[in-house]
Amino acid sequence: MEQAAVIVEGLTVAYGRFVAVDDLSFIVKPGEIYGLLGPNGAGKTSTIKALIGVLQPRSGRVQIYNMPLLDEFVVKSQIGYVPEEVVLFDSLTPREFFEFIASVRRLKADIVNSRLERLAYVFDVKQYFDTPIAALSRGNKQKVAIAAALLHEPKLLILDEPLIGLDARASKILKELITFHAKKGGAVIFSTHIMEIAEKLCTRVGIINKGRLVGEGTVEDLQRLVKSTEGSLEDIFLKVTQQEMDMREIVKALEEE
Amino acid sequence: MKFTELWRLSRTVYNEISFQSIFALRVGSSLPQKDHDIKQLVRNAQVNTLISKVITTIFIGTFGFTVFMPIAFGIKAEAPKELVVAGGVTAFLAVLLFLIALMGLQVTTSFVSSKIVDVLSALPLSKREISLIIFLCFLKIFDIPLLAALVIFPIVYSHFTGSILAGLASFISIGIAEIFALALTIGLAVFFYSKILRGGRRSRWSTFLRFIFLVVWVIPTFGAYFVINFATQITMVFASITQTFSTIHSVALIYPFSFGFLASYSAFPDKINYSVLSFSIIACIGYSVFAAYCLKFILHSIRQIGCEVGGVVTSAREIVKDTIIHPYAPWFGVIRKDLRIASRSPSYASLFLLPAIQTALLVFSFPFSELELNSIVGMLLGVSLVTILLPPLLLSIEGLAYGYMRSLPLNKKTLIFAKTLTTIVTYAFSLVVLFTVAMLVKKNFSLVLTFGIINSLAVAAASMLELSFFIRKLWKEGSVLGNIYTRLGTFILIVIPGFVMVLIPLIAATTVYFLGSPLVLPIFSIIATLEFTAMLIVILHE
Repeated sequence: MEQAAVIVEGLTVAYGRFVAVDDLSFIVKPGEIYGLLGPNGAGKTSTIKALIGVLQPRSGRVQIYNMPLLDEFVVKSQIGYVPEEVVLFDSLTPREFFEFIASVRRLKADIVNSRLERLAYVFDVKQYFDTPIAALSRGNKQKVAIAAALLHEPKLLILDEPLIGLDARASKILKELITFHAKKGGAVIFSTHIMEIAEKLCTRVGIINKGRLVGEGTVEDLQRLVKSTEGSLEDIFLKVTQQEMDMREIVKALEEE
Repeated sequence: MKFTELWRLSRTVYNEISFQSIFALRVGSSLPQKDHDIKQLVRNAQVNTLISKVITTIFIGTFGFTVFMPIAFGIKAEAPKELVVAGGVTAFLAVLLFLIALMGLQVTTSFVSSKIVDVLSALPLSKREISLIIFLCFLKIFDIPLLAALVIFPIVYSHFTGSILAGLASFISIGIAEIFALALTIGLAVFFYSKILRGGRRSRWSTFLRFIFLVVWVIPTFGAYFVINFATQITMVFASITQTFSTIHSVALIYPFSFGFLASYSAFPDKINYSVLSFSIIACIGYSVFAAYCLKFILHSIRQIGCEVGGVVTSAREIVKDTIIHPYAPWFGVIRKDLRIASRSPSYASLFLLPAIQTALLVFSFPFSELELNSIVGMLLGVSLVTILLPPLLLSIEGLAYGYMRSLPLNKKTLIFAKTLTTIVTYAFSLVVLFTVAMLVKKNFSLVLTFGIINSLAVAAASMLELSFFIRKLWKEGSVLGNIYTRLGTFILIVIPGFVMVLIPLIAATTVYFLGSPLVLPIFSIIATLEFTAMLIVILHE
């Protein structure tokens, strides 16, 4: 049987009495690009944070390549993570930041330097290498975070809204990188608000609403779920998150104005 | 827009800046998303800034009281009364300058770097209105201590001396000291933000600039510390050295002595030395002109903050030769990262320097003839207590990037080991200072050094204990403890076990010493080693 890259079973994340993720379950296989979709505040980021061990789930099970999250050190060595809010060490330069990441990940100098040279070229960040991260634009910070996530060539990429702030070139390159990573057998989980990208890029998508998984599968599976053969992922999304009726009323109200 | 409206808006901006100062100490992206928690945080931020202002005011007020002691209670001194009072007022002005600057530096950098101007500029407000809002907000950071010093001190001074002129002179002196403090604060904050935090590429020049900045930055900290601790001695030394003709005239030209003489002679007209007063008045006029220039600089800087939307400096493309990095072992990578971040943050850097400066100050206050064990214990206790403030600070360095750091394969053991090592190196630096001073004054400090080296085991144990508490809390709750200046209460509670750990071997050694036993050093060594070994075992099982 094929080993799953990520297994999430009955995951519940809560902030005090507020339940952000409620009994969530899904599986991501190697070679898959799994899109996490959902309206604002649906619980996508909380799910991702629980997957990488930043948040402790109230209950449920998370396994990365058959290892429980408790085995933190080994699990995190396999993950490349790009946070939604790119908060790095602002007073460091990208060079110093990469040096820290490479040290913590125990990467060999010769290997990491050749990778870094390639990533700096690909994301066009070489000229900012000695500039404090605080002085970089959001897009350039994002590129630094992406390069840092790819530095150790992880088996699993977890990207939280990775395309926000990126210019067209970097966005295109990242999409190519994600596809290439999956083709090589790596797994990708990424959350996005941009339906077109999810539709083109993802092998499967999971739609979260109010912390619960309300739809999962390929776009075709979801079309079947909502009994529509023509709807785009955006239409499906609105339907399964029960926002379709609201949307019609809003559009009508706007037209009347 | 009406002034009252602008005043109201400035309150909102002020609250936001207070909030940002505390928000920056939380775990950014993993900040609890509950409405209740955020409201609690907002309230905490407001209370914190209020407490900071009140504490500064209490410090100023307490120190101000010492100025009146010779006047109110007729304390007899060998030097003439007017010189003692001149010395007292001078010391008070210095303390005021240092304390206001110190307090301001904690918040002004976040004020300068705040993105609030971006929000304001999107509103239908003119640049002049935005500048005014920012200026009012800036004043709100300092309002209580500034007003208290400016109003209460002259009234009390006028009352005790029975001279309205004396009250007026002290009012002017304090006003000018406050302008200097604000100019120093905003000048350093703007410089820090534009040239150091957001400035261009890292080079040797920028490292040098950073070092100079930190030296300038720590002056208010240690200036306040020094003047408060040695106030009486300073006043007396001042009074005795100014009894010679040439010295008193030269001193009357130096700030803040010029204002000290002015305030003192205004209170005691029968004791006036007219040539000294003339020197003092000329100098005071010069300093007043300089203060007017400083005020202009303050207004200009604030206007700039109001106009330069989106930050002071933006990144520019630079020629970078290569992308080569040098990875190290994880623990050393953590240490390098921590030192780099600390060296770019004045409040962090000053705490790194504190043990060494504390040592230097303590050494000079030592009786050089013979060193008793109680002096050694006192010294080691002072340095150790300051050193063990470092571990929580080293964790709070992770700051907003904590969420990212947690996603890395970095275990608790490595983190504790790295941060304990940094703490010990800082402590060892104090011993190097001690050794250097011993060489300079040609005294035998070998006993202090022997105890000091053994004591490093207890300091390491205390550091490991604190860090294991902090990291457990961090791992579980995801909250960073923050800056010592703003979260003093929280720090003290968690640092207490560390203090106890450092105290145990020192108390044991003192007890054995007073019992007359020759086993002081062996017992001290055994307890320190036991503490270290016990903590090491605990950490290895983390």
